[in-house]
Amino acid sequence: MNNLIHSIGSAAELLGAAQRVRETSRQENVSPSQVLDVFERWSAALETNAVRQIPGVTFLRLWFRRGTLEPILIRELGQGYLNGEWSDHGGVRLRAFPLGVIGHWPAGNIEIQPILSLSCALLGGNGCLVRVPSGLTEATHLIMEKLQEADCDGLLTNRIFLASFEHSRTDLHEAMAQAVDGAMVWGGLEAVSKIRALPFPHWARVVVFGPRLSVAAMDASAWGDSKAQVSWCRRIARDVWQFEQQACSSPQTLFLERGSGCDPTEFLEQLKRAFEEENRAHPRQQIEPALTSAICQARASWLLADPSNRAWFPKSPDWTILQGTGLDAPAPTQGRTLTVLLVDDLVDVISRFDGAVQTMGLGTQEAQREDALAYAAGSHGVDRVVRLGQMHVFGSPWDGMDLVRPMVRLVRHGRSRE
Amino acid sequence: MSILTEIEQSIESLPMVPPYASSPQEQHARILALLKRELAYAADQNPSFRNYIEHWPIDYRAAEEIVDLPYLPVAAFKANPPLSLVPAGEITRTLTSSSTSGQVPSRVVLNAATARRMTRSVVAIIRDFIGPARRPYLVIDTPENISPQGELGARGAAIQGLSSFATELFCCLSRNQAGEPELDLAALRAFSTKWKDQEVLVYGFTYIVWTHLVQPLLRQGITLKMPRVHVLHSGGWKRLEQQAVTKNVFVRDVAAVFGCSLDRVIDYYGMVENVGVVYPDCPSGNKHVPVFADVIVRDPLTLAPVQAGQEGLVQVCSVLPTSFPGFLLLTDDMAELIDYDGCSCGRRGTHFRFARRVPKAEIRGCGNLETARYSSGQLSQA
Repeated sequence: MNNLIHSIGSAAELLGAAQRVRETSRQENVSPSQVLDVFERWSAALETNAVRQIPGVTFLRLWFRRGTLEPILIRELGQGYLNGEWSDHGGVRLRAFPLGVIGHWPAGNIEIQPILSLSCALLGGNGCLVRVPSGLTEATHLIMEKLQEADCDGLLTNRIFLASFEHSRTDLHEAMAQAVDGAMVWGGLEAVSKIRALPFPHWARVVVFGPRLSVAAMDASAWGDSKAQVSWCRRIARDVWQFEQQACSSPQTLFLERGSGCDPTEFLEQLKRAFEEENRAHPRQQIEPALTSAICQARASWLLADPSNRAWFPKSPDWTILQGTGLDAPAPTQGRTLTVLLVDDLVDVISRFDGAVQTMGLGTQEAQREDALAYAAGSHGVDRVVRLGQMHVFGSPWDGMDLVRPMVRLVRHGRSRE
Repeated sequence: MSILTEIEQSIESLPMVPPYASSPQEQHARILALLKRELAYAADQNPSFRNYIEHWPIDYRAAEEIVDLPYLPVAAFKANPPLSLVPAGEITRTLTSSSTSGQVPSRVVLNAATARRMTRSVVAIIRDFIGPARRPYLVIDTPENISPQGELGARGAAIQGLSSFATELFCCLSRNQAGEPELDLAALRAFSTKWKDQEVLVYGFTYIVWTHLVQPLLRQGITLKMPRVHVLHSGGWKRLEQQAVTKNVFVRDVAAVFGCSLDRVIDYYGMVENVGVVYPDCPSGNKHVPVFADVIVRDPLTLAPVQAGQEGLVQVCSVLPTSFPGFLLLTDDMAELIDYDGCSCGRRGTHFRFARRVPKAEIRGCGNLETARYSSGQLSQA
């Protein structure tokens, strides 16, 4: 394949690679601070035209900065972890140690996800065995080349093994599972279920980021404010465009809470302009014919279902806004297809969430209202409540789970002497 | 005179025979105005359809080209109740598509006038390929698939669509005790012996022809010795592709079984939503558009018409229906647009070749790409 991503044909190759990564990780301790230093340089190295074209790399550059990651490490593992120290807890000491080798099964539709996943494990001091989905090898290779530039001593590079093999090779998935001490799994329901069933060692910790979907919600204090409409609509468009609306954090439905004296038509026209503008800035380069069909079908079925339903879309499948009423998010179409539902009370909507909603992008200008909606969302299974425009900002906790802590062991040391 | 009457008169006045004689410009000019009137009529009859076309980014009334008119995806006909432009009492027949693997079938409603037009148009097309004579009609199917009234499946509709060419109709399959179709070999041999020197029309769904006629006869080394047949077949190739049966192999073996030349085996493309228009392969291997229809091949990225030599999603257009809004339909099929005119077979206008069905889109989360479904023991992972 190439010198960074290895095309794997046998279980022995994977087991051998895992063994080498394990030995390297044990022999060459790396402190969190050293990891952050390399990440900082990696961030700078990603500032090239070829790599910047990869969706998500702009975010990756921010993610790798010390200013982003240090607070995450401190929140998850405490200040002492940064310094590689034990911390005292009422007479006993605690210190985080890596699990060992972490297997990564990233999603195939998010270009930067193999890198994000392995970065979490590296922050815990682990080695990484990554199965790179076939569609992401080129992007992953380009990004990893920049790590090689930033990591001249191979401090991190030597503890990463990137593997590529057919998804149908059950024997290789099994070998990979047997060779790791922990796993980070990102995927749809079927994929996740299959990976969970692999023969991991009994001590292995498996963290699953399963299939979720996300919504946006605004009250009239936000969308009804004509001065702020342009800004809100740009934010929504940005959230819809990133990752082709295929990420679990992509908004599929926007709930607009009615407000007295506020006309949604003006807002929706503004949203249409924002979509047009975003499309000019980020035109689609390719599309699966099946998605084109699905988009055309979504437009038709929406408008045919109810003569009071409305829609805005161009001749192309570039984007679609469907507008109607209702408390339940319809089945997502993706492909930059946003359903806008007018509702009387956002709490009514949120109270119907069932755990499938990962992120709620929120737009309100009233602090008390925001707190109430965030509480309601948290109570009904939502794991992230964020400002519109920041729905994809990868951070910890994600899906309600820490990103680094699950991949370390907190070792408790009760001293043997007074 | 009512709008509907005007439309029906306009359709009747179209020169159906010969169906492939007009230049593309003449054809487009002729049907553009009619399609616009049909859209206006349909909008008056069906508020949901009106809502759809009024949201189209281009006002159909001002459109100067057929490509700008609002088209429905064929899946819109999976709605229940089916999209209709006539009162329930006027519906004489409901056609259903041959949906596979548990999918919801499309349903298309016909009134008497539309059904009559459909029959005329199919006859006009097919006679251009096999001649006008009536002849014995051998159906590779069971008689149960041809119900006289009510709902009619795609296979039944296709069988009946060709019955205008028949002097007599014989179905060579029957159901065995397990309810499975089975070749009635003795009856088939009697039929072939009786008509061996005559022009005979044969029709069957592609996979039925292959599974229930060609394979059993090949296994037994039987040739029917009917050199003057025309074997028409339609329907998807998916099941044959799964058996690695190519179009060339299919044609070769069908011709061998009947003892006819290869050019007498004719594949045609059609769908119940576009009932009345079928697209047989010409001797050059291309499918042609008759005067009362059009085909636009659209680039999936832009939905703009492709250039000759490019592939895209097939949009079919027909002025024939007035009982359902099936004038302009985006299919789930991909085709290569060969050219907008100039086929070596002499037929004028757009000609294309079917490429493949578009798989159903799957919702993708942070994971379920690389979407191959897995059988037991196989992973399908992101």
